[in-house]
This record gives sequence, C-alpha cells and structure tokens, in this order.
Amino acid sequence: MNLLKYSLMLAAIALSSQVAPPTSLLAQDLEPAQILKPTPDSWPLYHGDYSGRRHSHLTQITPQNVGSLSLAWAFQTGQTAQIKSSPLLVDGVLYFTVPDNIWAVDARSGHMLWHYNKPTTQGDHIGQRGVAMYKGWLYFTTPDDHLISLNAKDGTVRWNVMIADVNQGYWMTMAPLVVADHVIVGVSGDFDNLSGYLRSIDPESGKTQWQWNSTPPAGTPNSTTGGMTWMTGTYDPELNLVYWGTGNPTPVLSGVTRPGDNPYTCSIVAINPDTGKLVWGFEVSPHDTHDWDAVETPVLVDADFHGKPRKMVMQSSRNGYFFVLDRATGKSLLTFPFGPVNWTLGIDEQGRPIPNPAKEPAPDGRLIAPDEGGMTNYRAPSFDPKTGLFIVDAHPSYSLYFAKPADGYYGWAGADYGLWGKGVIEAIDYQTGKIRWSHEVGTGGSGAGVLTTDSGLTFTGDAYGNVLALDTRNGKTLWHAGMGEPMQSSPITYELDGRQYTMTSSGGVLFAWALPENSQTAKRSTK
Amino acid sequence: MKRFRDVALLAAVIGFVLCQSPQQPIYAAAGAARSGSQAVQTAAPPATENIGAEAYATHCAICHGEHREGVLPGFPPLLGIDHQMTDQQITELIHNGKGRMPGFPKIQDGDLAALLHYLATPGLSSSGTVAAAGSVSMGVHSSELEQAGGGLFQQHCAFCHGRDAMGGETGPDLTRSKLVLADAGGDKISEVVRNGRPEKKMPAFTFSSQELDGLAAFIHEQVTKATSQKGKRRGVDVADLQTGNVDMGKLYFSGNCAKCHSPTGDLAGIATRYEGLQLEERMLYPRGAKSRVTVTLPSGQKMEGILAYQDEFTVALRDSAGTYHSWVVRNVKYTVDSPVTAHVDLFSKYSDADVHNLMAYLQTLR
Repeated sequence: MNLLKYSLMLAAIALSSQVAPPTSLLAQDLEPAQILKPTPDSWPLYHGDYSGRRHSHLTQITPQNVGSLSLAWAFQTGQTAQIKSSPLLVDGVLYFTVPDNIWAVDARSGHMLWHYNKPTTQGDHIGQRGVAMYKGWLYFTTPDDHLISLNAKDGTVRWNVMIADVNQGYWMTMAPLVVADHVIVGVSGDFDNLSGYLRSIDPESGKTQWQWNSTPPAGTPNSTTGGMTWMTGTYDPELNLVYWGTGNPTPVLSGVTRPGDNPYTCSIVAINPDTGKLVWGFEVSPHDTHDWDAVETPVLVDADFHGKPRKMVMQSSRNGYFFVLDRATGKSLLTFPFGPVNWTLGIDEQGRPIPNPAKEPAPDGRLIAPDEGGMTNYRAPSFDPKTGLFIVDAHPSYSLYFAKPADGYYGWAGADYGLWGKGVIEAIDYQTGKIRWSHEVGTGGSGAGVLTTDSGLTFTGDAYGNVLALDTRNGKTLWHAGMGEPMQSSPITYELDGRQYTMTSSGGVLFAWALPENSQTAKRSTK
Repeated sequence: MKRFRDVALLAAVIGFVLCQSPQQPIYAAAGAARSGSQAVQTAAPPATENIGAEAYATHCAICHGEHREGVLPGFPPLLGIDHQMTDQQITELIHNGKGRMPGFPKIQDGDLAALLHYLATPGLSSSGTVAAAGSVSMGVHSSELEQAGGGLFQQHCAFCHGRDAMGGETGPDLTRSKLVLADAGGDKISEVVRNGRPEKKMPAFTFSSQELDGLAAFIHEQVTKATSQKGKRRGVDVADLQTGNVDMGKLYFSGNCAKCHSPTGDLAGIATRYEGLQLEERMLYPRGAKSRVTVTLPSGQKMEGILAYQDEFTVALRDSAGTYHSWVVRNVKYTVDSPVTAHVDLFSKYSDADVHNLMAYLQTLR
C-alpha cells in the first residue's frame, strides 16, 4: 500500500472517531460518559459537572468584551413562583423547574417545547432545584416526596415512586444526582423529629437500590433525628465517592434531648454510590442548635495545599466557617471563618468548631452571628482554579435565638429572629481562608449563586435584581443588567453554535445573555 | 363451583376493605389523626364508655388533651389512633411508655379494655378531622374554610411562619402579631399576603379572594388556640425578657447610646410604644430608620434629602417637598449619613448581659 493511501486511511479512521455515535445526533440523550466529561454545549447536571466547582472553561466572553453582553432571549414562565433551579442543557434543549412544573425550552430560539404542570397539594412548596437526566429520561422531585421519571422528548410520565411520607413531615426540593446507574435523592423536613436519608433509585425501574440514613429513627435512646439531605451532592469518579452535606438535628433550637455531637447531622459525608455505605463523615457543626445545615455544595478541587498536591473537598458552610478537607480520608486541612461568628469557643484538633454552650438558644435570648439563614445558604459557590479563589455569596448577619422548656422538644422547639444582615461576594484564598476581595451586594443579602469562567469572569447577582459580571481577580463590576427581581438561583453557561451564553433567572423569567451576533470581538472559545 | 365461591368471597372481602378507605388530612402535620370512615363498632354499654373516658381523663388527658386533640409540639393527638395502631400496640405503649411518655403498667383487664374502647370512639368534630395544633380547652371545631386555608398555609407559609403560625424559620409568630389581632375577616392579612413584605424578605402571593379568606380563617383559628394554651405557649413572652439589671443598663446606655439618644428626648416613653420582643429588636436594630444623602451634581449644585434608593449604579433621594430624584452614580458625587450604622457597629461588641441590661433600662422609660 503506498504512503498516500495509508495516510488517507489513517485520516479516515481518525475522522470517523471524531464523529459522535448516531444516537446522540438524533435523540436528546445523556449517557453517563457525557456527565463525566461534559461538552461545552451542555450543562448535564445541577452543578454543571461532578466537581461542583461551577467553573466553565469557556472563554468567548472575556473581561474585555463583557461590557457588550446583551440579551439573546428571555423565557417567561407566566407564573409567580420564583425560579430557583439550575437549568440542564442537553442536545440543544434546556430543562428547568419550579415546584410542580418542568419546562423544556429550545436553547436557540427560547421557545417552549413542552411544559409539565401537575400541582400537588401537600408538602412545602418552598422551591425546586431542577431535574436530573439519564439517557432519555428526566428525574423530578415533588414537594410531596415523589420521584417522577419523565420522557425528555415530551414530558410524559414513565413512572412515579414515593421516596418519603409527606404526612410524617418530609418534603423534597432537590435536584437528584445521577452517578452511573444510580439516581440519588435526598429529603427535607425540620418541623418534625424525623430521620434524614439518601436513597439510590434504579433509573429504569424506579426501584430502591439502597438507603443511607444520616440519623437513627426517632425514639432511639441517646441520639438525634434530623440530618436532612437537602441539596445535590458531588462525585469523584476516581475514588468512586459521592460527597453530600447533611442538615441540622431535630429538635432544632433545643439540644437538651440530644446531648453529644449528633452524628451525622451538619456533616460532610463520603458515601460509596454502589453500596450506600458511609466511608467517612466530618461534622461541620457538632451539636448544632442554630439550624445551620451543612448542605452547601461540597466542592471538589485537585490542587496543591501548602506545597503538597491534594484531592480536596471544600465547603463554605452555613455556620460561618470555610472548611477544606482531604476528600479521600475526611481529615481537616483548614477551618476558618468567612464572616463574623460569635458562637464558638474555638476549633478542636479535628478541625471542628467547638460550640459555646453560652450561645445556645436561651429563654431570655442570645445574640448570635450569623443569623439562622446562615453565612451562606442554598446559593452555589464557585472555585476558580486560575486564581485559587473560592467565591461565595456571603451574608454577615446577627440574630436573636430563644428556647425555653415550654417550647417543647419537637420540631423547631424555639424561636429565632434575624436583626440585620447584608450580602457580600467574598473571594476566599483556599489555602489560608483569608478573604482576598469583597464586593458588597446589598442590605438584607443576595440570593444569587456564583459562576466563574476561565477567561476571568465571575457571574452573580445583587439584592436589587441586577445580574453582575465581576473581574475574578479583584471583584470589580465589569457589566450589569437589571432583571427586575433578585436572582434566587445559580448561573450556568454553555456554548451553542459557536456562541457562549450565560443563563440567569429572575422571578419567573429565564434570561440568556450573549455577545451580539457577528460581533468583532466574539471568537470561538478555545476548548 | 367451589372456586367461584372462593373468588366471590375474596372479591367481597376486598370490596369491603376498599370501602374503608381513609380520608387524608389536607395538611402535612406529624401525628395528625387520620380521619377514617366510621369504624364499624358494636355500641358498648354506657358503663364501659364511662370507665374508659374516666381512665383517659385521669391518666392521659393532661398530656394528650381533654378531647384527645393533643398539645403540639410535644404531645400527639390520639383521635383515630385505632386506625394507626393495633390494640396490641396501643396496649404495649400504655404499659411501657415511650420517650417522655411514662408507662402505666397498672392499667389492666376491664379498665384496659374500656380505655381501648374509648380510644376507638370518634372525636367531637362531625367531619372527623382534627386540627394539629391542640388547645387544652374545648376542641375547636374546624370549618371547611379553615381546613382549606390550613392546607394552603402548610404549602406556602409554614416554612417561615411555622406549621402552627407561631413562628418558624425567619418568620414571625403570627399569633402575636398586632396586625393579625387587629385584622377583621382578612382585611389586613390579605393585604400583606398579596403585597409581601419585600424589605423583610416575605414574597408576594397571588391567591384568590376565597383562598385568602381561608388563610385568614386558619390564622385566626391559630390565634385562638395559642391564647388558650396558657403557659405552654411557644415564642417569646414579655416575661421572658426580664433578666437584666436596670443600673447596669443605664450605665451601658450612657457609654454607648447617649451620643445619639436621650431618655427624656427621642426615647421618652419608648416602653409604652413598644414592649417585649419588639422593643428588644428595635433596640438592637430599628428597621425602617431613614438615612440622609447629599448629592453633588456636576454643576456643583448640592441636593439633600432622605435616601430613597441606593445600589451600585443608582442613587436617589426624596427632597423636602417629597419629590423623588435619582442619578446614575458615575455622574455625581454623594455622601450618605446613616446614623443607624452605629447599631450595626455595636453587634460585635455586646455581651448577652449588655443586651438584657439595656432592655431592663429601656423598659423604665415610660
């Protein structure tokens, strides 16, 4: 065979291996391999990828050209519930939610393909974080504790299974996590003394594969209930570990009936996704009495820590402390406050805050920093590898906490009242905990999550309805737009047809931002 | 033929069992009694019923309520308990107790049977459903309107205001709210629900007039329950906040507050205007305190007024005539005078004793 023929053959082989298998060209399908390595034209799960860093490699929108960012299209849901979900983008279709509702929208035109709308009458309708996807199926949690599997093509229901009993006091808001052939879901519920848990569901049949309980059943002597698994976890495919945060113990504001550390409430846990077995657990708030869930994103970062390469998990937690742990062992590397805190006696040798008994809720009240909403909450943080900055929408705040015997030992078991707070976007140096820059975002606080990109941009929102693009190096505002309502979700970004879009929500409207088409400054992103 | 008969019998049994379908309570309340269709019972002789009721009144009512309605949050209602537990299970519970519930091993034989029988009798309310938040006084009869309102409350309000409206995550105790107490037929409540309280992070809700009526009815029902609870009441009473020392408070005031405030001036009579938790909250941070702003225009002209709006991009004031003026921030220079910031600066300095002492002192200013 001559050289030309040989080269042509090699070229043909090389080219054919670049072409995606026919199925993904025709169907809206998500294979597990695509979640492991998301393409730039996708956002295949709540966090964007399994690491939870909410950091994009797209560079078309830069600090130099973001000043020209404009509206590509907006989608109006026409209803009053606020969008709190991160949309999924798979094969050109966006999927996003509010309680009881899913919309499928063409990401190019901004027009609706289908709308699932089935009101439920039970369970707390406080919010909905989004769907998960596996192959051609969507997975959706309802306020009354059902997991529904729908056909992504048309929103028809395939099956519906009950995850928890709403009459006991559970409800659900979270976006499930798909890992290999497991759909992992968690529950919420603080007004009753209930045990929290994670459940893994078979994506095809809806059958339960395993359940991991964060706390023992109610009535177990010398133990606590609670530990609700409110928000979506993250996943390390090399270690094959799922990382999840658990919520506060119940009764919430009274610790009298649950002495001790109350494992595994207010904890970061590492779970084997195939067996549901706990590999390690780290208590972020031992014996919490302030409702400070530790369900904020457990962000996975591979980088140097004090000169040594480490596989880390980081969390800016509700109780006011920033934690860095070795994610293979659960050992603490750093614990440092990221705002005013007044409730601890210090940090113990394991890196856990030591709660000050004098700052537990009392009959005549205790002044506590932060407030019950916490130094941060549901709004996603972002890790930018270039600057080594962990960026979080923080909420320095003060509150009064009360508890007395007449409040009982069930559910809330007390009362708390926020006095004052403000919103600040903080860029934390992960190796020291020091705050490199701060950007104030308004009295009362902002509900916006944070997204960072490789070009050095930070996208977030303030308390007044503005979406902001900040310079990741110093927090300076480079672009803004008034959306009308304060953002209550976390931004996403993707590239479609050579154009980078950043997507934010405000009230019941979804906004897609991009540089003007045919713009001189728009270049195709380097991948 | 035998097979057909067996199938028919099975079908009849299944049919009978299906007819006993329980009616779900509208709202998610742990321990809420499931209202069942009337259980088929033979009427017991009056003597048995009396013994059962007496045994209940003697041993159980003090925790589980005079009419088995429970006293939440700690003591569950027992109406319909026969639909949730077998006699065997109930007996075990009565004899052994559970958690904070003591055991009564001495209730046996005739007394036990009578008590079990009593527990299986339907409650006072004709609809069979029981509201979750109990009162020790006469069981309150829940109308349909209150039930519908209760369902809506659990879905949309309970997260912040608590399932029983007595306060929850960040939301105030509605049963102590001056606005709720002054509300007549939902007139004031519906306004707050429709508009929200944006400065306090309460969203607005679009409910129909009928839905708002139901919500208001439910909230008023909760007020009634709360006020009849006597001593077992959740939330913060004026009496809870009396642990400070007046003289220490007066000293703290002169060192930290007297720069801006005067007990005979702006704070004269403050304790007649506010009391209890509301006074303490305002003492620590008075919401709604106004700031002032002076704006210098490019021409050099200065305008001054009450700060009406401020974000990174826009600043606005209302002048002495009440007229609104706003500017894009990069076009002007401005300074804000915000005396209330002094309250924020003190947060990191107070001890809890300081707070209670100040409260004691302020309560003398009548």
